[in-house]
Amino acid sequence: MDIYQKLAILSDSAKYDVSCSSSGAESNFQKGMIGCNEKSGICHTFTEDGRCVSLLKVLFTNFCIYDCSYCINRQSNDIKRAAFSARELADLTLNFYKRNYIEGLFLSSGILESEDKTMELLIKAVEILRFEYRFNGYIHLKLIPGASQHLIEKACQLATRVSSNLELPSSKSLQLLAPDKTQKNLMQPLKYAKDFSLKNRNKPIPMTTQLIIGATPESDFDILKLSSNLYNKALLKRIYYSAYIPTNDDKNLPSVNTTPPTVREHRLYQADWLLRFYGFSYNEILDKRENLDLDFDPKMIWALEHLELFPVEVNHADKEFLIRIPGIGIRGAHKILKARRFQNLSFENLKKLGISLKRAKYFITIRGKYFGEKQFYPEYIKRALTKPKKKGFYQPSLFDTFIPAVTGEL
Amino acid sequence: MSVYLYDGSFEGFLTLIYQSYYQKKPALKIIKDKKEIGLLDEVIEITTDAKRAEKVHQSLKEKFETKNYNKIFHTFLCNEREFEKALYDFIVIGFKNQKNLANINHPSIHYLEKLEHEYFRYVHKMYGFVRFEELEDEMLYAKIESKFNILPFLGKHFSKRLDGCDFIIHDTKRELAYTNGIIHQVADFETPTLSENEAKFQKLWKLFFEKVSIKERKNPKLQQNWVPLLYRKYMTEFID
Repeated sequence: MDIYQKLAILSDSAKYDVSCSSSGAESNFQKGMIGCNEKSGICHTFTEDGRCVSLLKVLFTNFCIYDCSYCINRQSNDIKRAAFSARELADLTLNFYKRNYIEGLFLSSGILESEDKTMELLIKAVEILRFEYRFNGYIHLKLIPGASQHLIEKACQLATRVSSNLELPSSKSLQLLAPDKTQKNLMQPLKYAKDFSLKNRNKPIPMTTQLIIGATPESDFDILKLSSNLYNKALLKRIYYSAYIPTNDDKNLPSVNTTPPTVREHRLYQADWLLRFYGFSYNEILDKRENLDLDFDPKMIWALEHLELFPVEVNHADKEFLIRIPGIGIRGAHKILKARRFQNLSFENLKKLGISLKRAKYFITIRGKYFGEKQFYPEYIKRALTKPKKKGFYQPSLFDTFIPAVTGEL
Repeated sequence: MSVYLYDGSFEGFLTLIYQSYYQKKPALKIIKDKKEIGLLDEVIEITTDAKRAEKVHQSLKEKFETKNYNKIFHTFLCNEREFEKALYDFIVIGFKNQKNLANINHPSIHYLEKLEHEYFRYVHKMYGFVRFEELEDEMLYAKIESKFNILPFLGKHFSKRLDGCDFIIHDTKRELAYTNGIIHQVADFETPTLSENEAKFQKLWKLFFEKVSIKERKNPKLQQNWVPLLYRKYMTEFID
């Protein structure tokens, strides 16, 4: 099998792993080495489905001894299988990096023979890159659940970031769909990695995980509660949510014809942002409901359900509250804070600063004046927000009246 | 209030600042092309003077905070846009009081802030979208056609990443090229010969690009929001 076929198979099977960010890695320039991380992360291209490509995301192999129902690479699936050699993979990464196609490598794998064997293979490829090719760029390594502690520790030394996917939000679902995995078993490598990196570096190695959404019956509340706990324990830097795309026909899974719940995925990401950057807690976001609203974003819903706190005066509100106003984000809040040091802001001032007032105007007063709906009730505001855009003059057409007249549908 | 005409160079601009300050004639409008002169304008033509420019430069260095001082240079790299009057206001305000330069309610300050923001967003995008090709002597060569002059930043960025490799970034629109820390003028240029391996890795990259996209979630409009057609000219994966 040549390298083209291998790459085709192994990148095809890795694409469902959504994580592809390289952001947050400190700049680490070293003389004489190739590669340097960029704090803000860089997108090198965007795929047809509009996702950023930042890393060479491949599986080392798609052979697997496990049989998880949701996974395309499960043992019982009849698909083409391939495996890279460590050298091939290292060459590919280095050459892609030099041409500025990628920020680095994202390496995951199916389980070949045993967990330890697989982890060793991944480590070998990374060792060639780091020591032989003197590659200093970003490397994200998947920790293999069930691999021995010393191998996990070795992986942490070599990689910029590590991760282990929790896959499903509860142990019950896991038992049903992935009988070879348990939540404890999936968390284990993350714990090893945390302990090890705390011992050897001053801060923990950044870790991420991924949850599959929509394959099992958990509510958004359950999911956000889990996420929030993981963030609070400082175990994880980032959690990815992946709308379940049916790949296998299985009695325990949604039918192959279901469309992926992408809107729900989007809302979960928004809620996740609120947890991480906006100072919300999970039970604030979902205090009156089980699931996130699909029509409105979570911040908007929170504001609508807490109208007693609004409208708030933009010229006086503190930063913590400014960022909670729908339509005003972190950047907008900073602009307001900066500008109001010099003067009391008017509606015009805010517009000139480029603050979007389309949604914010229902929740704020500007110099004491309110610019939103007359009726300050959630229903009215919701209606105003979803009101269709006014169209221009309507040009009546001859046929508009003509056809119903003929068919007698007047 | 007067209309100033200068030659478009940085030194010319500094001379203009010098002259308008000492002659106490604040600029109403600043132009670099004679065609823009209006019928009733009282035009003051600036003859670029290196000594005067250096004097202004020195006092900018002394009086301006680093952040504000740098902003003047960044603005000058965006010379495709109209920026002279805003930059003039910025410098005048800055000489009076540095603190007032944070007042984004002032239209000129806000304009420059937005321009600088746009510039760096663009630079950041291009950090990702530049594509190198390997030449037969292992030199890496990239062509760009950019809306702003971003070579100084690209050069710095890639010399950190490709330490030990020789590389050229060629701005075909401005006929400039970055090599080894210096930006040169490039008058004419022969198409270089690619290395043996180049075709192989380009093919592999295109293959990878095609394979990572999820067909069930196809959304070309979203893709185009992120990578507008304008950027795609030299991007390997978009060239057939």
